[in-house]
Amino acid sequence: MKPVSTVLIQRLLFITLLISGTVAAATGPVNTGVVPETGLRFWEWNARGVLFRLTQRLPDQTRAYFMARGFDNENAESIATRCVFQSMFKNIAEQGDGAVSIDLDTWRIHSAGGETRMITREKWPENFVNPEVAKAAAIALEWSLLPTRQVYAPGDYNWGMTGYGLKPGKVFDLDFSWKRGDKVFQGYLKSVECAPDIHPDPQP
Amino acid sequence: MISKRLLQVVIALWAVFALHEVIAQQQEPLLHEVPERPAAPDFSIEDMDGVVHTLSAYRGKVVILNFWATWCPPCREEMPAMERAWQMLRREDIVMLAVNVGEDEDSIFEFTASYPVEFPLLLDRESAVIRDWPVRGLPTTFVIDPQGKIVYRAIGGRDWDAPGVLQKIRALKSRP
Repeated sequence: MKPVSTVLIQRLLFITLLISGTVAAATGPVNTGVVPETGLRFWEWNARGVLFRLTQRLPDQTRAYFMARGFDNENAESIATRCVFQSMFKNIAEQGDGAVSIDLDTWRIHSAGGETRMITREKWPENFVNPEVAKAAAIALEWSLLPTRQVYAPGDYNWGMTGYGLKPGKVFDLDFSWKRGDKVFQGYLKSVECAPDIHPDPQP
Repeated sequence: MISKRLLQVVIALWAVFALHEVIAQQQEPLLHEVPERPAAPDFSIEDMDGVVHTLSAYRGKVVILNFWATWCPPCREEMPAMERAWQMLRREDIVMLAVNVGEDEDSIFEFTASYPVEFPLLLDRESAVIRDWPVRGLPTTFVIDPQGKIVYRAIGGRDWDAPGVLQKIRALKSRP
């Protein structure tokens, strides 16, 4: 019987690592790219048992979404032009690793304008042009947003919009954190770009 | 030569097995036990057909209670799995209720054209019911035991027809 070559063992090890995800993880915690179907950009943190993803939303998408749910033009415009992302936060740790908790009020945005905080569920009404908002519209906004505070058991996740209070096209860094047990973990996304306010020409 | 081929086959089988394990881990059904099993807050609301559903009236049965909305991508994604689970569980004294948050009949009716389901879709138009429940994001689903206690919770979508999930739900029927 021939001895097993070192190359073969290396290939075997590589295949195992590749399958287990270890090789992919070694490329770093942040992944960026473009969603093929929409051409919109995304930024994704995938490390320390947490997956956090931001995907651009065009202001026009956000305008249309909120106007369809009862917001008037001015308030829909006010939301749409404050840098809204589609977001997903997931606890991807193993079952035994326990829950993670987040508090968006502790996350920090760094942009040319300095350090700011996200516009969370509780803070959006301060940004409305018209304080009178239809009840159905207010309900839609509240539940469309990523929860300000949440506890995620392994496998749990939320989708929701997050607001950054910046003008379309602006760039920012986001420092975010989460707790697992008593331990606080830090993550970051760098050079995140608010979607530009473009109005694509209709296709011929 | 033969021994090398044999080794390659073994490696291939190993890779397939490892991949299967990884996929199995990623798809592991995850229903989390709610500490101290609090009592499920009661409600009475109408479904799409105008039938009033009172949660406490289902005492003695296992209830799967889902909070959702048509515009919520993971809610839409898990609906077909919920329907498949319902088709397997409906004759076993297990109830499935999906409470829509803040929308009207027209929006839901339109939604059901693409996502047909046979379990009751309840209307929490003013989001009054959801505020009594520990829900911060959609979808969130609870499994309530026959004594009216919340036993499991899932935040985000799940494969409701996965054997592990069904087993956990069925086990509640005989749980003390």
